[in-house]
Amino acid sequence: MSSEPQRPGSREVHDYTEEYGYHSDQRSLRRDPPRVSNQNQPQFDWISPHEEEDEEGSSGPPRDLRATPLPMALKRAIRQVQQMQVPVVSSRDSWKRKNAKSLRKLKDCGMGFLSFFSLWSKTLQKIGGNFGGGVQSYFLFLRFLVVLNFVSFLLIAGFVLVPSIVFRSVGAALVNSTGQEACMVYDPNPEGLVVFYNYFLDLLSGTGFMEYSYLFYGYYNNTMVEDKNISYNMPLAYLFTAVFYFVFCLICIIARMGTAARVVVATGSSTVGDYSMIVFTSWDYGCLGDRATKLKQKNIHYQLQVDLEEESIKKRAAALTLSQKIVLYSLRVSMCFVSYGLIIAAFYGIFVATEFSQVKNGQGGILGLFFEYLPSIVITAGNFVVPLLCDQIALIERYSPSTTVIVALLRAVFLRLVSLGVLLFTLWRQITCEGAENTGECKLCQYNHLLYPCWETRVGQEMYKLTLFDFLINIAVLVLVEFPRRMVVDNWSNKLSQWVGRQEFVVPANVLGLVYGQTVVWTGALFCPLLPLINTLKFILLFYFKKITLFHNCRPALKTFRSTTSTFFFLVVLLFGLGLGTVVMIYSLSEIRPSMGCGPFRFFPSMWSIVPTSFNNLSIITQDFLFFIGSQSFSIPLFALSCVVMCYVVALASVYGKSVALLRAQIKLEGRDKQFLVKQIEMLSRRQQILKQTAGASS
Amino acid sequence: MGNKQTIFTAQQLDSYQDCTYFTRKEILRLFDRYRDLAPQLVPLDYTCQPDVKLPYELIGSMPELKDNPFRQRIAEVFSDDGEGNMTLDDFLDMFSVMSEMAPRDLKAYYAFKIYDFNNDDFLCKSDLEKTLNKLTRNELTEDEVRMVCEKVIDESDLDNDGRLSLEDFQTMIVRAPDFLSTFHIRI
Repeated sequence: MSSEPQRPGSREVHDYTEEYGYHSDQRSLRRDPPRVSNQNQPQFDWISPHEEEDEEGSSGPPRDLRATPLPMALKRAIRQVQQMQVPVVSSRDSWKRKNAKSLRKLKDCGMGFLSFFSLWSKTLQKIGGNFGGGVQSYFLFLRFLVVLNFVSFLLIAGFVLVPSIVFRSVGAALVNSTGQEACMVYDPNPEGLVVFYNYFLDLLSGTGFMEYSYLFYGYYNNTMVEDKNISYNMPLAYLFTAVFYFVFCLICIIARMGTAARVVVATGSSTVGDYSMIVFTSWDYGCLGDRATKLKQKNIHYQLQVDLEEESIKKRAAALTLSQKIVLYSLRVSMCFVSYGLIIAAFYGIFVATEFSQVKNGQGGILGLFFEYLPSIVITAGNFVVPLLCDQIALIERYSPSTTVIVALLRAVFLRLVSLGVLLFTLWRQITCEGAENTGECKLCQYNHLLYPCWETRVGQEMYKLTLFDFLINIAVLVLVEFPRRMVVDNWSNKLSQWVGRQEFVVPANVLGLVYGQTVVWTGALFCPLLPLINTLKFILLFYFKKITLFHNCRPALKTFRSTTSTFFFLVVLLFGLGLGTVVMIYSLSEIRPSMGCGPFRFFPSMWSIVPTSFNNLSIITQDFLFFIGSQSFSIPLFALSCVVMCYVVALASVYGKSVALLRAQIKLEGRDKQFLVKQIEMLSRRQQILKQTAGASS
Repeated sequence: MGNKQTIFTAQQLDSYQDCTYFTRKEILRLFDRYRDLAPQLVPLDYTCQPDVKLPYELIGSMPELKDNPFRQRIAEVFSDDGEGNMTLDDFLDMFSVMSEMAPRDLKAYYAFKIYDFNNDDFLCKSDLEKTLNKLTRNELTEDEVRMVCEKVIDESDLDNDGRLSLEDFQTMIVRAPDFLSTFHIRI
């Protein structure tokens, strides 16, 4: 620090004590007499600006000027000095500098233009100002999902939907019909006169007029268009679009995780420095309004109290005797069993409901609709009831508050995603006659053609119903629970309504709802290509409804949710959902025989088999090249290389971590050195004074 | 861009653009906000660089600042005379530092100044206590305040002198992921 006091301005303007400075009396906000230590004042070197021109780069001096902590008048003076030195610079350098400046202006213009397109940014700012970063992160996550769904819909539309519409009447069937006649019977159109309300029921359940349409898999043809100019293989396009959709979503999520992870990794463990963080960084300067400010202050108060309480809990837990510890742990284990027992009971309920619903399939009217929606109803009921019970159980387990939140969240995630898995498992059992494809009803076509003449459309319908039902439930809760609750609490003041209080916007539960909805879409995208579009519309409407309920019915939560680590956590949970969708897709592509009566893959033994078939149509060179890439002589060296690269990156990361620790220790040491030197100086000056006094006394 | 405005000369606007994180449009908009606080004091012509200072009471009544418990310290830190009376330059400086494009070190420097109530370039215990009381509206008990201050100094004081210097503060801010988004006034 003290070794380079007057280094001229460099590109890295991180430590103001080294680079820029000015005399303290110009910044006259300090009316106190001179301070002892001048080191905290930024230093500016007027003398040697020449070195600046030698180090030329895209970030010219103007950028440094903005980032210096000086008053405006001084910055303008410095700028004038810098500009006066410009003629000294060579023409090439000045051309470079002009270029850099115009590039910067263009970039600023571009950013301004892009921010015009950024969706809902003003609304998000308002939410952040009034309710804090945690709630804002939920809405940011929702916006991310809207954009993701919309872009995936554009992908699917471009490669599957539009060619399908265009080439509907043109094109020859790829493979001629082989196989049993009975398997190819598929008649989705209703006969005769249809009662008018049936249209509404059909809209809700995806049957009837909606079944044989672009919405579901069954409508697409297995044609290949071959013209002199264009050749378009529909089934291959369908398959590759579905696969690429998953890869694209994975890339988007990981890219977004990267930015969040960078922040999490850079700040290291979040438990160290908790109190300093709260005191210095928790006040939101963008907080507007008296009410929001008071709430924020209560928030911080609560946070500090909770942290102090956690400390005392930890101290108490460490002071437990052995017998108390045994009691506590056995209690925790038994409560764990109870909660998992509840979850398994919920799974069994879903299983039974799905079987029952399939058995009662085909019944008309409202009762039929109820049976159709029975799995969705049971899943939603389970998702409401079980987390409530788990929360109560968590209270008994007596973990620390932060652990309780994480444990509850993980249980809820487990419940939601696996309940979806149970539904899918039940469907699979019925489609493939419980896995034994050569017995019973599946003997003829390797799938249950009596129950499911077009099983992919059926699965797509289930996913469609789940999406729709999820949306309807959200709106119903809003209208029937949240608004009345607010009206009761506001207008009827007695002890009960005081205790119940206004709704709190619980971020984790809402995020899990979003993840669940997105997982359903991923599972169903192969069978219902328009599902991403439906989901986009659903999420857009959800944004507005949640915003309305947030501003009208909710009070800000007392318990905060840290916004940066929570974004990372949301994306990790989203990846679980993507994993489930991928498993379903891979299984359907490779293991189950596609329906013979409908869809672009009829007459193929499996959906994936179109790839080898089309592969043979490629040129010999391409075939050889692709074989080479797949062979061992390429993949093993590639694998070894990627292992080496990963080891290098891990080593680099650990080195950075160690150097951060080292630098921190160095700062501590330098502080001590400084103190030591100051003491020495004081001692020496005292000695000198004593010597002077004795010399004066003796003379 | 059409040069239709007559408030500043082109050079003045250019120098403002170089010295703050604002574009030309934003600077003019901020001037309008400044003038709206006291239309009779602020002239419409800044080409001759008039020496106009708005008193702290007007600055503190802006909607973005009026509920902020640190508004007085913010105005004092950015004003020339240390009392909170701000010229247009100070005004632009303040919002430039508090904008979302300002880098972390610049914000950390000014945050340190804001929390340094006695202006001695160190965050000592009394500074921390005052900060804490402003943050929690005086609702913490004396014991709790004392405990939290001790913990803060424990965690962040690297040179072990019982108070936080600018380096300690900046080192701690580096590890704070939320700082950039919370030390931000939207205008």
